[in-house]
Amino acid sequence: MKLFKKITFSALAAVFAVTASFAGAASAAGSLSGKITVNGSTALLPLTLQAAKEFQKMNPKVRIAASGKGSVTGPQAVKKGIADIGACDWDASIDVPGFKAFSGQVANKVAVIPFATIVNKNVGVDNLTTEQLRGIYSGKITNWKEVGGADADIVVITRAFGSGTRVNYQAKALAGGDIVKKEKNYKETGSSGDMKTAVATTPNAIGYIDLVYVSGDVKAVKYNGVAATTGNVINGSYKIWAYGYYMTKGQPTGAVKAFIDYVQSKKFQQGSLKKLKFIPISAMK
Amino acid sequence: MVQPTYDSTPAVNGSLHSKGDTRRRHFRHLVSNTFARYYFLFSILVLCLVLALVIVFIGKTAMLLLGQISLADFFLSFNWTPEEDKFGAAAFIINTLSLTALTLLISVPVSVGMAVLTAEIAPAWLKRFIRPILDLLVGIPSIVYGYLGLTVLLPLLRRASGESLGDGLLAAGLVLALMVLPTIARISDDAITAVPGKYRDAAYALGSTRLQVILRVVLPAAGRGILAAVILGMTRAIGETMAVVMVIGNTPQLAKTLFTPASVLTSNIVMQISNVEFDSTWNYALHMMAFLLLLISFLLILVIRFLGRKRREG
Repeated sequence: MKLFKKITFSALAAVFAVTASFAGAASAAGSLSGKITVNGSTALLPLTLQAAKEFQKMNPKVRIAASGKGSVTGPQAVKKGIADIGACDWDASIDVPGFKAFSGQVANKVAVIPFATIVNKNVGVDNLTTEQLRGIYSGKITNWKEVGGADADIVVITRAFGSGTRVNYQAKALAGGDIVKKEKNYKETGSSGDMKTAVATTPNAIGYIDLVYVSGDVKAVKYNGVAATTGNVINGSYKIWAYGYYMTKGQPTGAVKAFIDYVQSKKFQQGSLKKLKFIPISAMK
Repeated sequence: MVQPTYDSTPAVNGSLHSKGDTRRRHFRHLVSNTFARYYFLFSILVLCLVLALVIVFIGKTAMLLLGQISLADFFLSFNWTPEEDKFGAAAFIINTLSLTALTLLISVPVSVGMAVLTAEIAPAWLKRFIRPILDLLVGIPSIVYGYLGLTVLLPLLRRASGESLGDGLLAAGLVLALMVLPTIARISDDAITAVPGKYRDAAYALGSTRLQVILRVVLPAAGRGILAAVILGMTRAIGETMAVVMVIGNTPQLAKTLFTPASVLTSNIVMQISNVEFDSTWNYALHMMAFLLLLISFLLILVIRFLGRKRREG
């Protein structure tokens, strides 16, 4: 496998050298060839698929295979040499709660992913503070009336440990606070879709989800008085968001670099990426 | 393609075919027969190979757990906290067993009753109507049952019990019972139908009522077949994942009440497997749980084979 990669790479390099010296004026992007494998986060998958479609149209000789499983599988696949790019909802080159850093990997920011706290539509509460959320998820606050709502038990719905959404929500919304399992009124879900269905169908439920998933059947609550909108993320007032990363083994080269460059390019960030309801990375400066 | 049955028609129509023609035909049949034999042999070998690979690969990864934590920890501890490297699977094992027991408790009486109805009591037109419906129910994908459980059953349970969440063993047990019901009913139906008519005739001749015939003669005679049906339903209940995951609450803890959000072996594996690192104790522990499920289902299938043999002898 390694040998094969080496050969591919040297062939790629040779092709590059030849085209660079002879073709000269010919478009450099069009001469790219090779196969790029992207593995990892399901949250970033729609973005990767769209970018791959556009990139392959410009570079017909490049083949991109993308699949989504869980965030941590991204950097893992890169480590094992299975994938060239590992899509991950957190920066896997540093330690995060529950996961050690993947040494030697480079995190390339590709998008901004906002998250929202959601509640069932029967919940009267419109705003929750960091402290209130920490209380709810640690099990200290168990009734909606303690945070200004009706007298009803709070049903906590969370993602399973290891989910990228959970890692980010815990770090940003709960400011590192714990999510403690309970014997009652507590449920874990396996995906963003399940989370939404569970919150939408369970009265008095609270949960969290990527902002793009929020729709009419659940209610997004304000965080410290600020509504969860892309506008508020960009102007810096809404804090629950995270970068999505493409992890690579060392600095990306060749076709992989060109692909990441394309995803980070103004054309893609301002065009398709925005249409998919992600936020361009340049907006956060 | 290959039709080895032709071989049985002797190629002796010498008046129609020349000698060379017959020989060529004979040769052709010989080749096709040999080919077919090896093809069938190959097919079964492929299946055996796949089975062996499943056992070897799941088992190999599972065995890596032994170097990381003690088996006593895995089987006896109730503390499953991957973030603190605690991998006690006792809660999942007990939940799996109690969920299966609950499922059978709900489904067996109903499904055997249905089998008796279709095999003994119902008029022919009703049988013709019920059997295809049961067959259809067997074929419904489990995710559909799970979704119905989530959107229809859970709200009903919440209203009936006053719980805020409703997820737990009872919800999962009800969904699973519905799922295994047609399986048990159809196979029990076959077992009851297979009871020789002379048994019934003899019982009626001795003055039995229909209920007596069913309870004292037909059901005992079909007992082993019904037991096999129940065990088959049990294997489905133990291995079922998607329907369970949607209504059980997926919380790694022991289900002390029917409404405690809990997790079983299958649901815990499917919830966590996409978020684990390959070379971690966590991953090995999940594989060990899968291996355990494999062993349980092998054991149950062995029991079914054993029962089947006994029945033929008896």
